[in-house]
Amino acid sequence: MRTPGPSSRAGSLGEEADEQAEGAADSRARMQTGKGRGYGGAAMLKLIGAALVLLSGALFGYFQAGQLAARPRQLNDLIRALQRLETEIVYGFTPLPEALERIGAASPDPVGQLFRSAAAKLAESRGRPVHQIWQDTLSQGWRHTAMKLPEREALRQLGFTLGLSDREDQAKHLKLCMLQLEAEERLARDEQGKYERMWRSLGLLLGALVVILMY
Amino acid sequence: MNVDVNAIFQIAGIGIIIAMIHTVLKQMGKEDMAHWVTVIGFVVVLFMVVNMLDNLFKEIKTIFLFQ
Repeated sequence: MRTPGPSSRAGSLGEEADEQAEGAADSRARMQTGKGRGYGGAAMLKLIGAALVLLSGALFGYFQAGQLAARPRQLNDLIRALQRLETEIVYGFTPLPEALERIGAASPDPVGQLFRSAAAKLAESRGRPVHQIWQDTLSQGWRHTAMKLPEREALRQLGFTLGLSDREDQAKHLKLCMLQLEAEERLARDEQGKYERMWRSLGLLLGALVVILMY
Repeated sequence: MNVDVNAIFQIAGIGIIIAMIHTVLKQMGKEDMAHWVTVIGFVVVLFMVVNMLDNLFKEIKTIFLFQ
């Protein structure tokens, strides 16, 4: 029994290969029938390839700009989630897995996903220390966020005290982490203002350069 | 003759695109990268020109040296 995803992909691949074979046969036939028409088919293929390269360059630029725009937003989400965590720990006396679960449910997605997976891992594996589980969660879920190394380091440092010491100490470390994240957020906003528009135009220009170089 | 015109258009296109990339990078404050892009574009164009000159000299050799 094949799942629908791979089978459909295989089908589309097969279709593509068929199309390519058809195109090659077609162009060969044109070559045999007349030189001018064969040249036209090759030029058509070249044009399609150029359009694809241009499109992929533009999409790459837009993707980079999107990452740049998503980073301060996700940092803001993360700071708010840590504020909620502080409230849960200091005033709510909530156990850590439950607190993480609640925060994960309340936060928007890439950040919430991080907290939810940490809560799930914490619930299923008793006995492992919290900082190891936190570390695992960070290294697995970090790819899905647009955030970079400094904030990851700050969160990793936070993991060493989370759930270990008394309330005041944890609150202090949470405050410190939030301060670092706020500084990073300001830097990220600066970077977004500077480089977002640059990437948008640069992607398209790089695509055009590759097209002209290879045409 | 046709090939020659194509090559000239290609070099002109590379020049325009490189100039635009240089402008964009310079506006955003990455002047060192802008200069690197210009240098790389120059080297690429130089390679193409050197290839054409090589063809030209070979042509001259075949004409005058009866190889």
